[in-house]
Amino acid sequence: MHNNTINIVLADDDEDDRLFFTEAFEELKIKSNVSTYNNGVLLMEYLNKNDSIIPELLFLDLNMPKKSGIECLVDIKKNPRLKNMIIAIYSTSASEEDIEKTFVLGANIYIKKPNDFKKLKKALSEVVTTNWQYQTDNLNKDNFLLRL
Amino acid sequence: MGSTSTYNNNFLKIAFGLGLFVILCIGGFSYKHTQDLRDSMEMVKHTYEVNLELKNLLANLKNTETSEHGFIIINDSSFIDSYNSGRIKIAENLKRINILTQDNPEQRRNLDSLNKAIGKRLFYLSETLQSYKLGQIRSPKFISSFKLGNQKMTNIREQVQAMIAHEDNILEIRQIENKKALERTPIILYSILILTLLLLLVAYGIINRDLKVLKENNEQLNIFKESANLSEIVSKHGSWTCNIDQDVYEFSDNFYRILGEEPQSFESTIENFMTFVHKDDVQKLTTQVENMLIEKNLPFIYYRIVRKNGEIRHLKAFGELYVNNEGENKLIGTTADITDEVNNFRLIEERNEELERNNKELSAFNYVASHDLQEPLRKIQTFISRLDEKEYEKLSDSGKLYMSRIKKAASRMRLLIDDLLQFSRTNKSDNVTELSDINELIEAAKQENIEAIISKKAIIYNDEMPTMMVIPFQIKQLFINLIGNALKYSKDDIPPVINITYAKVNSPEDKNLPNLANGYYHQICVIDNGIGFEQEFAEKIFTLFSRLHSRDEYSGTGIGLSICKKIMENHKGNITAEGKLNEGSIFKIYIPC
Repeated sequence: MHNNTINIVLADDDEDDRLFFTEAFEELKIKSNVSTYNNGVLLMEYLNKNDSIIPELLFLDLNMPKKSGIECLVDIKKNPRLKNMIIAIYSTSASEEDIEKTFVLGANIYIKKPNDFKKLKKALSEVVTTNWQYQTDNLNKDNFLLRL
Repeated sequence: MGSTSTYNNNFLKIAFGLGLFVILCIGGFSYKHTQDLRDSMEMVKHTYEVNLELKNLLANLKNTETSEHGFIIINDSSFIDSYNSGRIKIAENLKRINILTQDNPEQRRNLDSLNKAIGKRLFYLSETLQSYKLGQIRSPKFISSFKLGNQKMTNIREQVQAMIAHEDNILEIRQIENKKALERTPIILYSILILTLLLLLVAYGIINRDLKVLKENNEQLNIFKESANLSEIVSKHGSWTCNIDQDVYEFSDNFYRILGEEPQSFESTIENFMTFVHKDDVQKLTTQVENMLIEKNLPFIYYRIVRKNGEIRHLKAFGELYVNNEGENKLIGTTADITDEVNNFRLIEERNEELERNNKELSAFNYVASHDLQEPLRKIQTFISRLDEKEYEKLSDSGKLYMSRIKKAASRMRLLIDDLLQFSRTNKSDNVTELSDINELIEAAKQENIEAIISKKAIIYNDEMPTMMVIPFQIKQLFINLIGNALKYSKDDIPPVINITYAKVNSPEDKNLPNLANGYYHQICVIDNGIGFEQEFAEKIFTLFSRLHSRDEYSGTGIGLSICKKIMENHKGNITAEGKLNEGSIFKIYIPC
């Protein structure tokens, strides 16, 4: 997986977070192709295009204008073309309610945005290097929230 | 009282019947008595009549005899007339005696022989007269006839006397009988009268007593009625009755007052009442009243009325069937003015809505605190970490110092926001208790503190805990905070040892449960060997933002134990602290069984 370029998409309305995100991948030295979208509507427009490249990893902020991360998650899981995409929730809040909801809706992992750049890099590298084939089978509520 | 009055009623009926019977008896007796008296008088009269006739008969016989003798001596025809009229009178006498003695066989027999004797006497008289007319006076035949006639006369006299004696005898016997009967009658009559009087007296006594009881009951009833009237006024109730069979209504005074009218100021009919009912409720209420008359029952109904002054009142009514002694179906009902209740209910509802609004605002505030405040802070911290990583070397010494100060301040702010968020989360009322494995919760709490446990080489022992009815995430938070505290306030020189023990206690026996309901409680103690505290601060440490140490010594927000206290309040339990400076502290938590 490392040998090829990984397509990574981030949907987040926050400019700073998008900056941290892209900078982190630049520093991680992973062959990656990171594209970002400012909100859920733009993300879904891209994903729903027939000729779009479906990313290996989608990082989804929950609190976005126009279309929230939860709504995007629901739509993605309804679409057979997209539903096998690995989805990491990438949110400021780590409320029980949000964690529970996104877990039930079929997200793969929940990342609480760290307040330290090093931790951010660590978290992203962990998500990228995870063998999702294996991890998906063992997914449960306890290891859903990424612990750093 | 009911059975007594039935008993009395029966007694009165019996006494009345007996009295009637006795009076009838007295009537019968009196009638018979009078009848007896009349019979006895008849009897006397009869005897006298018979005796008189007999004496007349004898006198007439003598007269006839004397007339004949006179004729023979003087030979005057006037004697013959007298003689002839005498014979006629004798025949009449005998005829009358015959009628009078018809019902007496013995007298009849006597009369027969008397008849024959008189016949003989008259025969001898006519024979001597014949002899005299033929001039054969002093002839043997004349003499013998004369003598024989004389003898017969004596014989007749005796017979008449015997008959008179017989009549007298009968009279005497009857009079004795009558006398006896007449002597007894007054006593019987008198005793019966006395008995009747007694019965009447007893009946009178009972009636009197019943009357007294009735009067007392009546008075009580009046008092009860009056107090019912008063209580109706105080409790804003009105009562009414409805005679289902006749469709007749009666309203109590206060029922009128509820309608805003003077008591009994209009006729108590359903039509009049309906004029007060709020126009939106008329249809519903009419149906309900119709159902009431059919089903003979009125479940709770609610409706509004409009008083003449335009005031709207909310009423609640309820009725039940009552069948009286005469079998009449009556509905007894109560109508309550619940306007105040309704208004209070509305007020409470409004307050509840307001509270709910406030709660929602608080939740919104929580969200702002958790999300919107965290976000800029997180960015500040991330940018600091970027600066720290990339630009640190370019800073002057004082710049490096400021940098570390900024970092510290930012972490402290993060701590405060996290704790405040935690504290407000324990406020949520929608958390429900569930049967939870406390051992698991303690294990999870240890995991949360795992870094400090490892770095301080802490040892934690805990008893096997039973399952309890708790809000799991709150109890987990409680253990996180308590274990976290024990680790934070540990001594520098020895590794922390934390004992978590379990016991079951009874509320009145344990002095740490002063304000809790009686019953059994789970007592869990978290005992550490840390720096402890002075006992005088045992209460203070649970208040929000209170701290015993400066921030330089120990980091902290003063929120952790307040959260613990709030959690225990949510569980209707308690938490207490005991401390000894430089020896350690014990936190005891109590959860109701």
